[in-house]
Amino acid sequence: MNDEYLWDKSGEPDPEIQQLEQVLGSLRYQPQPLELPDNVKPVRRNRYLPLLAIAATLALALLAGALWLRAKTDSKSGPHNAVITPATPSPVNPAEKKNEELPTREDNSRSTDQDRKVFAVNRQRRTKRSLPALSKTERAEALEAKKELIVALRLASEKLNLAQRKANGPATPGQIRNQHKIG
Amino acid sequence: MRSVFQRISIIPVLVGLLVIVSTTTSNAQEPRIQMSHLDHLAAKASETVDVNIDERLVQIAIKVFSDKDPDEAQIKKLVAGLKGIYVKSFEFDADNQFNAADVDSIRNQLREPAWSRLVNVRSKRDSNVEVYISLSGANINGLTVITSDARELTIVNIVGPVDLEKLAHLEGSLGIPDLGIEITKPKTKNEDK
Repeated sequence: MNDEYLWDKSGEPDPEIQQLEQVLGSLRYQPQPLELPDNVKPVRRNRYLPLLAIAATLALALLAGALWLRAKTDSKSGPHNAVITPATPSPVNPAEKKNEELPTREDNSRSTDQDRKVFAVNRQRRTKRSLPALSKTERAEALEAKKELIVALRLASEKLNLAQRKANGPATPGQIRNQHKIG
Repeated sequence: MRSVFQRISIIPVLVGLLVIVSTTTSNAQEPRIQMSHLDHLAAKASETVDVNIDERLVQIAIKVFSDKDPDEAQIKKLVAGLKGIYVKSFEFDADNQFNAADVDSIRNQLREPAWSRLVNVRSKRDSNVEVYISLSGANINGLTVITSDARELTIVNIVGPVDLEKLAHLEGSLGIPDLGIEITKPKTKNEDK
Protein backbone atom coordinates (compact mmCIF):
# COMPACT_ATOMS: atom_id res chain seq x y z
CA MET A 1 0.00 0.00 0.00
CA ASN A 2 1.21 3.42 -0.91
CA ASP A 3 0.80 5.88 1.94
CA GLU A 4 1.60 8.83 -0.29
CA TYR A 5 -1.80 8.49 -1.99
CA LEU A 6 -3.57 8.62 1.33
CA TRP A 7 -1.52 11.62 2.35
CA ASP A 8 -1.75 13.92 -0.69
CA LYS A 9 -3.12 11.73 -3.53
CA SER A 10 0.36 11.41 -5.09
CA GLY A 11 1.89 8.12 -5.91
CA GLU A 12 0.14 4.96 -6.90
CA PRO A 13 -3.55 4.76 -5.93
CA ASP A 14 -4.95 1.78 -4.08
CA PRO A 15 -7.97 0.35 -5.92
CA GLU A 16 -9.76 -0.41 -2.66
CA ILE A 17 -9.39 3.19 -1.53
CA GLN A 18 -10.53 4.43 -4.91
CA GLN A 19 -13.63 2.27 -4.61
CA LEU A 20 -14.32 3.63 -1.18
CA GLU A 21 -13.86 7.15 -2.50
CA GLN A 22 -16.46 6.50 -5.17
CA VAL A 23 -18.99 5.05 -2.72
CA LEU A 24 -18.60 7.78 -0.12
CA GLY A 25 -18.24 10.55 -2.71
CA SER A 26 -22.00 10.51 -3.30
CA LEU A 27 -22.43 11.75 0.29
CA ARG A 28 -20.10 14.68 -0.25
CA TYR A 29 -21.50 18.16 0.62
CA GLN A 30 -23.18 19.80 -2.32
CA PRO A 31 -24.22 23.45 -1.78
CA GLN A 32 -27.85 24.17 -2.72
CA PRO A 33 -30.45 26.77 -1.59
CA LEU A 34 -32.72 25.93 1.39
CA GLU A 35 -36.16 24.94 0.29
CA LEU A 36 -38.87 25.33 2.92
CA PRO A 37 -42.13 23.44 2.66
CA ASP A 38 -45.18 25.51 1.74
CA ASN A 39 -46.86 25.25 5.13
CA VAL A 40 -43.88 26.83 6.91
CA LYS A 41 -43.69 30.62 6.68
CA PRO A 42 -40.62 32.40 7.92
CA VAL A 43 -41.36 34.94 10.69
CA ARG A 44 -39.84 38.34 10.14
CA ARG A 45 -37.79 39.16 13.16
CA ASN A 46 -38.34 42.56 14.69
CA ARG A 47 -34.98 43.47 16.13
CA TYR A 48 -36.42 46.43 18.07
CA LEU A 49 -38.80 44.28 20.10
CA PRO A 50 -36.29 43.15 22.76
CA LEU A 51 -35.02 46.72 23.06
CA LEU A 52 -38.55 47.96 23.51
CA ALA A 53 -39.18 45.33 26.16
CA ILE A 54 -36.03 46.31 28.03
CA ALA A 55 -36.95 50.00 27.81
CA ALA A 56 -40.47 49.26 29.06
CA THR A 57 -39.04 47.21 31.92
CA LEU A 58 -36.70 50.01 32.93
CA ALA A 59 -39.47 52.60 32.67
CA LEU A 60 -41.83 50.55 34.79
CA ALA A 61 -39.09 49.82 37.32
CA LEU A 62 -38.38 53.55 37.57
CA LEU A 63 -42.08 54.28 37.94
CA ALA A 64 -42.44 51.64 40.61
CA GLY A 65 -39.38 53.02 42.41
CA ALA A 66 -40.79 56.53 42.25
CA LEU A 67 -44.14 55.35 43.61
CA TRP A 68 -42.41 53.47 46.38
CA LEU A 69 -40.34 56.51 47.30
CA ARG A 70 -43.43 58.68 47.27
CA ALA A 71 -45.33 56.23 49.44
CA LYS A 72 -42.35 56.08 51.80
CA THR A 73 -42.08 59.88 51.92
CA ASP A 74 -45.81 60.25 52.48
CA SER A 75 -45.77 57.83 55.36
CA LYS A 76 -42.78 59.58 56.95
CA SER A 77 -43.55 63.21 56.24
CA GLY A 78 -47.04 63.24 54.90
CA PRO A 79 -49.28 66.23 54.71
CA HIS A 80 -49.35 68.07 57.96
CA ASN A 81 -51.64 70.90 58.61
CA ALA A 82 -53.93 71.98 61.33
CA VAL A 83 -56.92 73.88 60.19
CA ILE A 84 -59.53 74.99 62.64
CA THR A 85 -62.41 76.90 61.25
CA PRO A 86 -64.50 78.05 64.18
CA ALA A 87 -68.00 79.34 63.63
CA THR A 88 -67.54 81.68 66.58
CA PRO A 89 -64.23 83.07 67.85
CA SER A 90 -62.72 80.58 70.24
CA PRO A 91 -60.73 81.56 73.36
CA VAL A 92 -56.98 81.43 72.92
CA ASN A 93 -55.11 79.55 75.59
CA PRO A 94 -52.00 81.00 77.28
CA ALA A 95 -49.59 78.64 75.49
CA GLU A 96 -50.84 79.71 72.08
CA LYS A 97 -50.81 83.34 73.08
CA LYS A 98 -47.18 82.98 74.06
CA ASN A 99 -46.37 81.58 70.62
CA GLU A 100 -48.15 84.35 68.79
CA GLU A 101 -46.09 87.00 70.50
CA LEU A 102 -42.96 85.71 68.82
CA PRO A 103 -42.32 87.58 65.57
CA THR A 104 -41.92 85.31 62.57
CA ARG A 105 -41.65 85.61 58.84
CA GLU A 106 -44.99 83.90 58.49
CA ASP A 107 -46.94 86.75 60.12
CA ASN A 108 -48.22 88.18 56.84
CA SER A 109 -49.46 84.89 55.49
CA ARG A 110 -50.97 84.06 58.85
CA SER A 111 -53.04 87.23 58.88
CA THR A 112 -54.35 86.30 55.43
CA ASP A 113 -55.27 82.90 56.79
CA GLN A 114 -57.06 84.48 59.71
CA ASP A 115 -59.08 86.56 57.27
CA ARG A 116 -60.24 83.26 55.80
CA LYS A 117 -61.19 82.08 59.30
CA VAL A 118 -58.31 79.64 59.30
CA PHE A 119 -56.99 79.38 62.79
CA ALA A 120 -53.71 77.60 62.16
CA VAL A 121 -52.01 76.46 59.00
CA ASN A 122 -48.73 74.67 58.72
CA ARG A 123 -47.24 74.46 55.28
CA GLN A 124 -44.87 71.63 54.51
CA ARG A 125 -41.28 72.68 54.21
CA ARG A 126 -38.14 70.70 53.58
CA THR A 127 -35.68 71.37 56.37
CA LYS A 128 -32.68 69.56 57.78
CA ARG A 129 -33.27 67.86 61.09
CA SER A 130 -29.73 67.55 62.26
CA LEU A 131 -29.05 71.26 62.63
CA PRO A 132 -28.11 72.04 66.22
CA ALA A 133 -29.59 75.55 66.17
CA LEU A 134 -32.91 76.34 64.54
CA SER A 135 -33.00 78.75 61.67
CA LYS A 136 -35.77 81.34 61.44
CA THR A 137 -37.79 79.18 59.08
CA GLU A 138 -37.31 76.11 61.19
CA ARG A 139 -38.26 77.97 64.32
CA ALA A 140 -41.43 79.25 62.68
CA GLU A 141 -42.23 75.72 61.54
CA ALA A 142 -41.49 74.35 64.98
CA LEU A 143 -43.77 76.91 66.61
CA GLU A 144 -46.56 76.08 64.21
CA ALA A 145 -46.04 72.37 64.88
CA LYS A 146 -46.05 73.04 68.61
CA LYS A 147 -49.32 74.91 68.33
CA GLU A 148 -50.87 72.04 66.36
CA LEU A 149 -49.47 69.53 68.80
CA ILE A 150 -51.07 71.35 71.72
CA VAL A 151 -54.41 71.48 69.90
CA ALA A 152 -54.18 67.76 69.15
CA LEU A 153 -53.12 66.83 72.67
CA ARG A 154 -55.84 68.98 74.17
CA LEU A 155 -58.45 67.17 72.11
CA ALA A 156 -56.90 63.77 72.77
CA SER A 157 -56.79 64.39 76.51
CA GLU A 158 -60.32 65.75 76.56
CA LYS A 159 -61.72 62.81 74.66
CA LEU A 160 -59.75 60.30 76.68
CA ASN A 161 -61.13 61.80 79.87
CA LEU A 162 -64.61 61.79 78.40
CA ALA A 163 -64.22 58.09 77.69
CA GLN A 164 -62.92 57.51 81.22
CA ARG A 165 -65.76 59.51 82.73
CA LYS A 166 -68.37 57.68 80.70
CA ALA A 167 -66.86 54.28 81.41
CA ASN A 168 -66.68 54.93 85.16
CA GLY A 169 -69.69 57.18 85.66
CA PRO A 170 -73.30 56.22 86.37
CA ALA A 171 -75.09 54.73 83.42
CA THR A 172 -77.81 56.79 81.85
CA PRO A 173 -80.94 55.10 80.52
CA GLY A 174 -80.40 53.52 77.16
CA GLN A 175 -76.61 53.40 77.59
CA ILE A 176 -74.52 50.35 76.79
CA ARG A 177 -71.07 50.27 78.37
CA ASN A 178 -68.24 47.91 77.70
CA GLN A 179 -64.79 48.17 79.15
CA HIS A 180 -62.42 45.60 77.79
CA LYS A 181 -59.30 44.19 79.26
CA ILE A 182 -56.11 44.71 77.37
CA GLY A 183 -54.61 41.67 75.70
CA MET B 1 -39.72 35.19 19.99
CA ARG B 2 -43.11 35.83 21.56
CA SER B 3 -42.26 33.71 24.57
CA VAL B 4 -39.07 35.71 25.10
CA PHE B 5 -41.08 38.93 24.99
CA GLN B 6 -43.62 37.52 27.45
CA ARG B 7 -40.83 36.53 29.80
CA ILE B 8 -39.36 40.02 29.64
CA SER B 9 -42.71 41.74 30.22
CA ILE B 10 -43.32 39.71 33.37
CA ILE B 11 -40.39 41.42 35.10
CA PRO B 12 -42.00 44.86 35.53
CA VAL B 13 -45.22 43.22 36.68
CA LEU B 14 -43.27 41.31 39.31
CA VAL B 15 -41.39 44.46 40.32
CA GLY B 16 -44.67 46.35 40.60
CA LEU B 17 -46.24 43.62 42.70
CA LEU B 18 -43.19 43.51 44.95
CA VAL B 19 -43.38 47.27 45.46
CA ILE B 20 -47.10 47.17 46.22
CA VAL B 21 -46.68 44.32 48.68
CA SER B 22 -43.71 45.94 50.45
CA THR B 23 -45.51 49.30 50.68
CA THR B 24 -48.67 47.70 52.01
CA THR B 25 -46.72 45.67 54.55
CA SER B 26 -44.71 48.64 55.78
CA ASN B 27 -47.91 50.70 56.19
CA ALA B 28 -49.70 47.88 57.93
CA GLN B 29 -47.08 47.78 60.67
CA GLU B 30 -47.84 51.31 61.88
CA PRO B 31 -51.02 51.89 63.87
CA ARG B 32 -51.98 54.85 61.73
CA ILE B 33 -55.51 54.97 60.44
CA GLN B 34 -56.70 56.61 57.25
CA MET B 35 -59.13 59.47 57.81
CA SER B 36 -58.88 61.43 54.57
CA HIS B 37 -62.18 60.05 53.32
CA LEU B 38 -63.93 62.10 56.03
CA ASP B 39 -62.78 65.39 54.51
CA HIS B 40 -66.10 65.83 52.73
CA LEU B 41 -67.71 66.45 56.14
CA ALA B 42 -65.78 69.70 56.48
CA ALA B 43 -68.13 71.33 54.00
CA LYS B 44 -71.11 70.58 56.25
CA ALA B 45 -69.38 71.30 59.54
CA SER B 46 -69.59 74.58 61.39
CA GLU B 47 -66.24 73.91 63.05
CA THR B 48 -63.48 71.66 61.82
CA VAL B 49 -60.24 70.64 63.44
CA ASP B 50 -57.77 68.87 61.19
CA VAL B 51 -54.37 68.09 62.66
CA ASN B 52 -51.74 66.04 60.85
CA ILE B 53 -48.42 65.93 62.64
CA ASP B 54 -45.95 63.32 61.50
CA GLU B 55 -42.80 62.15 63.26
CA ARG B 56 -40.63 64.84 61.69
CA LEU B 57 -42.91 67.60 62.90
CA VAL B 58 -43.13 66.07 66.36
CA GLN B 59 -39.33 66.11 66.57
CA ILE B 60 -39.18 69.71 65.35
CA ALA B 61 -41.88 70.82 67.79
CA ILE B 62 -40.03 69.21 70.68
CA LYS B 63 -37.15 71.62 70.10
CA VAL B 64 -39.26 74.64 71.01
CA PHE B 65 -40.83 73.16 74.13
CA SER B 66 -39.31 74.69 77.22
CA ASP B 67 -37.72 72.49 79.86
CA LYS B 68 -38.21 75.17 82.49
CA ASP B 69 -41.98 75.35 82.16
CA PRO B 70 -43.33 72.29 84.00
CA ASP B 71 -46.35 71.99 81.67
CA GLU B 72 -44.23 72.15 78.55
CA ALA B 73 -41.64 69.80 80.01
CA GLN B 74 -44.42 67.33 80.73
CA ILE B 75 -45.69 67.53 77.16
CA LYS B 76 -42.19 67.27 75.76
CA LYS B 77 -41.67 64.05 77.67
CA LEU B 78 -45.03 62.71 76.59
CA VAL B 79 -44.59 63.34 72.87
CA ALA B 80 -40.86 62.56 72.64
CA GLY B 81 -41.33 59.06 71.25
CA LEU B 82 -44.44 59.71 69.18
CA LYS B 83 -44.50 59.00 65.46
CA GLY B 84 -47.53 61.07 64.70
CA ILE B 85 -50.73 62.67 65.92
CA TYR B 86 -53.72 62.91 63.63
CA VAL B 87 -57.01 64.50 64.57
CA LYS B 88 -60.20 65.14 62.69
CA SER B 89 -63.05 66.79 64.49
CA PHE B 90 -66.27 68.10 62.99
CA GLU B 91 -69.00 70.04 64.76
CA PHE B 92 -72.28 70.57 62.99
CA ASP B 93 -75.12 73.04 63.45
CA ALA B 94 -77.72 70.44 62.58
CA ASP B 95 -78.27 66.83 63.56
CA ASN B 96 -77.22 63.78 61.53
CA GLN B 97 -74.83 65.43 59.12
CA PHE B 98 -72.67 62.32 59.03
CA ASN B 99 -73.79 58.74 58.73
CA ALA B 100 -72.88 55.44 60.32
CA ALA B 101 -70.79 54.48 57.31
CA ASP B 102 -68.41 57.37 58.04
CA VAL B 103 -67.76 56.03 61.53
CA ASP B 104 -67.70 52.42 60.33
CA SER B 105 -64.98 53.27 57.83
CA ILE B 106 -62.78 54.20 60.77
CA ARG B 107 -63.96 51.36 62.97
CA ASN B 108 -63.20 48.83 60.23
CA GLN B 109 -59.53 49.78 60.38
CA LEU B 110 -59.41 49.06 64.10
CA ARG B 111 -59.79 45.31 64.01
CA GLU B 112 -58.05 42.67 66.06
CA PRO B 113 -55.34 41.52 66.43
CA ALA B 114 -53.69 44.84 65.62
CA TRP B 115 -56.14 46.82 67.73
CA SER B 116 -57.96 46.14 70.99
CA ARG B 117 -61.05 48.02 72.04
CA LEU B 118 -60.50 49.35 75.53
CA VAL B 119 -63.69 51.33 76.05
CA ASN B 120 -66.99 51.29 74.22
CA VAL B 121 -69.80 53.48 75.50
CA ARG B 122 -72.98 53.70 73.42
CA SER B 123 -75.72 56.09 74.38
CA LYS B 124 -78.93 57.09 72.63
CA ARG B 125 -79.08 60.44 74.40
CA ASP B 126 -75.43 61.25 74.92
CA SER B 127 -72.30 60.82 72.85
CA ASN B 128 -70.76 57.48 71.90
CA VAL B 129 -67.16 56.94 72.88
CA GLU B 130 -64.78 54.24 71.75
CA VAL B 131 -61.13 53.90 72.75
CA TYR B 132 -58.86 51.53 70.87
CA ILE B 133 -55.24 50.73 71.61
CA SER B 134 -52.59 49.02 69.57
CA LEU B 135 -50.19 46.90 71.58
CA SER B 136 -46.62 45.98 70.87
CA GLY B 137 -45.86 43.34 73.46
CA ALA B 138 -46.93 44.90 76.74
CA ASN B 139 -46.54 48.47 75.49
CA ILE B 140 -49.14 50.65 73.88
CA ASN B 141 -47.87 51.85 70.51
CA GLY B 142 -51.04 53.39 69.17
CA LEU B 143 -54.24 55.00 70.38
CA THR B 144 -57.46 55.85 68.62
CA VAL B 145 -60.42 57.60 70.20
CA ILE B 146 -63.74 57.96 68.37
CA THR B 147 -66.41 60.17 69.86
CA SER B 148 -69.65 60.88 68.10
CA ASP B 149 -73.03 62.34 68.84
CA ALA B 150 -75.75 63.89 66.74
CA ARG B 151 -73.73 67.02 66.06
CA GLU B 152 -70.12 66.03 66.50
CA LEU B 153 -67.65 63.52 65.18
CA THR B 154 -64.08 63.42 66.51
CA ILE B 155 -61.34 60.97 65.71
CA VAL B 156 -57.97 61.11 67.44
CA ASN B 157 -55.20 58.83 66.25
CA ILE B 158 -51.86 58.79 68.05
CA VAL B 159 -49.05 56.70 66.57
CA GLY B 160 -46.21 55.65 68.83
CA PRO B 161 -45.76 54.82 72.51
CA VAL B 162 -48.52 56.54 74.46
CA ASP B 163 -48.78 56.94 78.20
CA LEU B 164 -52.55 57.06 78.69
CA GLU B 165 -52.27 58.26 82.26
CA LYS B 166 -50.02 61.17 81.38
CA LEU B 167 -52.10 62.04 78.36
CA ALA B 168 -55.27 62.14 80.41
CA HIS B 169 -53.52 64.22 83.06
CA LEU B 170 -52.79 66.92 80.50
CA GLU B 171 -56.26 68.17 81.30
CA GLY B 172 -55.64 70.99 83.71
CA SER B 173 -52.59 72.26 81.88
CA LEU B 174 -52.45 74.11 78.56
CA GLY B 175 -55.69 75.90 79.34
CA ILE B 176 -57.62 72.63 79.48
CA PRO B 177 -60.08 72.63 82.36
CA ASP B 178 -59.37 69.94 84.93
CA LEU B 179 -62.47 67.85 85.41
CA GLY B 180 -60.95 65.96 88.33
CA ILE B 181 -61.29 62.57 86.75
CA GLU B 182 -59.48 59.72 88.34
CA ILE B 183 -57.37 57.86 85.83
CA THR B 184 -56.73 54.19 86.37
CA LYS B 185 -54.09 52.17 84.62
CA PRO B 186 -55.45 49.65 82.13
CA LYS B 187 -55.12 46.10 83.33
CA THR B 188 -52.71 43.85 81.55
CA LYS B 189 -52.90 40.10 81.15
CA ASN B 190 -50.36 39.51 83.91
CA GLU B 191 -52.28 41.68 86.36
CA ASP B 192 -55.45 39.73 85.72
CA LYS B 193 -53.74 36.56 86.79
